[in-house]
Amino acid sequence: MGRKILLVEDDAETAAYLAKGLTQEGHSVEQATNGQDGLFRATDGSFDLIILDRMLPALDGLSVLKALRAARIETPVLILSALASVGDRIEGLEHGSDDYLVKPFSFAELLARVNALLRRREARIDPADHRLTVGDLEIDPLSRTVKRSGKKLDLKPREYLLLEYFARNEGRVVTRTMLLEQVWDYHFDPGTNVIDVHVSRLRRKLDDGFEKPLLHTVRGAGYMLAA
Amino acid sequence: MPTTLRIALLAGLLALLSNLAVIGFIYLRTHDEALSAMRQQVVEQDKVLTDVWRTGGQPALVDAIGDTIAYADPQAVVALFDSRGREQIGNVTRLSQPLSEGSRAVFVRVKNQPTPKRATVITHRLKTGQWLISGRMTGEGLAIRQTLESSLIVALALALLLGLACGAILAHYVGVRIGNIAAVANRISRHDISRRVPLSGTGDAFDRLGQQINAMLDRIGGLMEELRMLTDSLAHDLRSPVSRLRSAAHAAAETADPQEQEELLGSVIRQADGLMRILSAVLEISRSEALTGRKQFSWFDLGELTAELCEMYEPVAEEAGAAMAYDHPARPIPLYGHRQLLAQALSNLIENAVRYGSSGGEIRLDVRTNGKETRVEVADRGPGIPAEQRAQALRRFGRLDSSRSKEGAGLGLALAEAIAHLHDGELRLEDNEPGLRTALELPLRPAERETARAA
Repeated sequence: MGRKILLVEDDAETAAYLAKGLTQEGHSVEQATNGQDGLFRATDGSFDLIILDRMLPALDGLSVLKALRAARIETPVLILSALASVGDRIEGLEHGSDDYLVKPFSFAELLARVNALLRRREARIDPADHRLTVGDLEIDPLSRTVKRSGKKLDLKPREYLLLEYFARNEGRVVTRTMLLEQVWDYHFDPGTNVIDVHVSRLRRKLDDGFEKPLLHTVRGAGYMLAA
Repeated sequence: MPTTLRIALLAGLLALLSNLAVIGFIYLRTHDEALSAMRQQVVEQDKVLTDVWRTGGQPALVDAIGDTIAYADPQAVVALFDSRGREQIGNVTRLSQPLSEGSRAVFVRVKNQPTPKRATVITHRLKTGQWLISGRMTGEGLAIRQTLESSLIVALALALLLGLACGAILAHYVGVRIGNIAAVANRISRHDISRRVPLSGTGDAFDRLGQQINAMLDRIGGLMEELRMLTDSLAHDLRSPVSRLRSAAHAAAETADPQEQEELLGSVIRQADGLMRILSAVLEISRSEALTGRKQFSWFDLGELTAELCEMYEPVAEEAGAAMAYDHPARPIPLYGHRQLLAQALSNLIENAVRYGSSGGEIRLDVRTNGKETRVEVADRGPGIPAEQRAQALRRFGRLDSSRSKEGAGLGLALAEAIAHLHDGELRLEDNEPGLRTALELPLRPAERETARAA
């Protein structure tokens, strides 16, 4: 299902590359090349998502974001930035962006985050039953219990959080950085394969002894929970 | 006006003013009515006698002198000397000084007195060539005061001279000492940072200034050296991944086999990610050292953060053959700091322990506070780092040769140290006997100390 995305990016090459990729995914992309134009277009509130470069001519990304939030336009915003330090990321998030992606990034990473943000929007509009189900997997966020084929799984608290995050993004790619940011709330690069090791532990508890695996590795991108 | 001259004048002026104050004080305390009354009498007596001489001539004067001796107060001295200085009439026989026109303080020999007496006299040469001497004996006290007064005038002149001399000496001294410092500063502005301010060894203010400047220069020199080495090693360490990246990209462009091409492109991306990681770490270090992160400080429980990281690395450590151990403190350990950056610093330390110390079997985390500072430790039982190599391990790209073969750009400890500095703290590398113990020592702010006391 295609969505309306506003892309505010002054670098023509990056903008063309992103617009092409997102259009191929079925979204309709409108472009702005400076902050003022971006803010002007964003204020009609008709977009499902705004992808905002942080360093823009005329008006920088954070100012656009502030102006939008001040005007009570709550369209999800994904900030792109070449400013990579932990402090810069936190600053971006504190200014009311919904996600923050550091350049350079892979298109797979961007797409995963775009889909997660669009999905969040969807969930807001249509609140589902509090129970999450993926195939024969059943998660109860209230009691924090997990059952697969009716059999209770014994998960550690962090493993549960990981699984719940996967389940909320069912059928969508989740990248390692997204897991680090969303499940652990860390905004630095841990360097080693910390996330992979946690995911593979979860996978052992989740899929061992079952014929059909639920947790899949997506090469070059991350992981996906799908029936 | 040159500063040195100004200092000289100022010092001279100050010396003069303080001397004037002392002189004025002495004058006020010694000068009293008795002295000026006595002078007044001397002048009046002289006036009366000269008037008598002018109107009545010598006979009247002789009478008047006789009257003065007979009826005036017993302190009066009066006499008429002939032109050769011999006494003709009166009660004075000799003066201690040759006769000359004017008033002065002298010793006089008075008739019927065994010893010479001090006196203030006025001497006139009359038209006849005779000398009229008229005055009063000054008592001991008055005489001392009189001497003092004339001394004060000499003192005043001396004070003026000495003040100027003091000023000149001081200006010269200050000029020389400041000149030394200026010479060093001058050399530095011409890119010679090796010069140092010579110290006199007396520990005076100039020495302290010199020491401060020398310490500053040492620090700047150290930073410049570090920067130079950083640039060198950054260039050096980026060279090999960039050339690997280039050859992989080149090979991918050349090959016809799609599967091989995909593998090569995957390698290109990995190499590029590795480069980005190095650059991000370098950026993070310089940001931390510039203290820009302080506005993102907040309160959090360091015990809790350590527990989270322990849990996060536990599976990785287990795969490497080590067990993580951490005794979560019973009470929260509140800290005001950059939670994300401290998490990163601590995770670098844990990662370092996992990477190099897993062979020892246990990696122990510990958090404690003593009311002055909070300390987080990561201790492994691996091979450790010999004391003489620890400084090298903290340097950016300062990977020890023994670990060159392993992955990592050697920035982890340098970043942890920069983050410690952001919190006014230090990163310590210690001997865990056996193994390496790394610790972040974070001083508590006053508010944290209070919280720690209250707990």
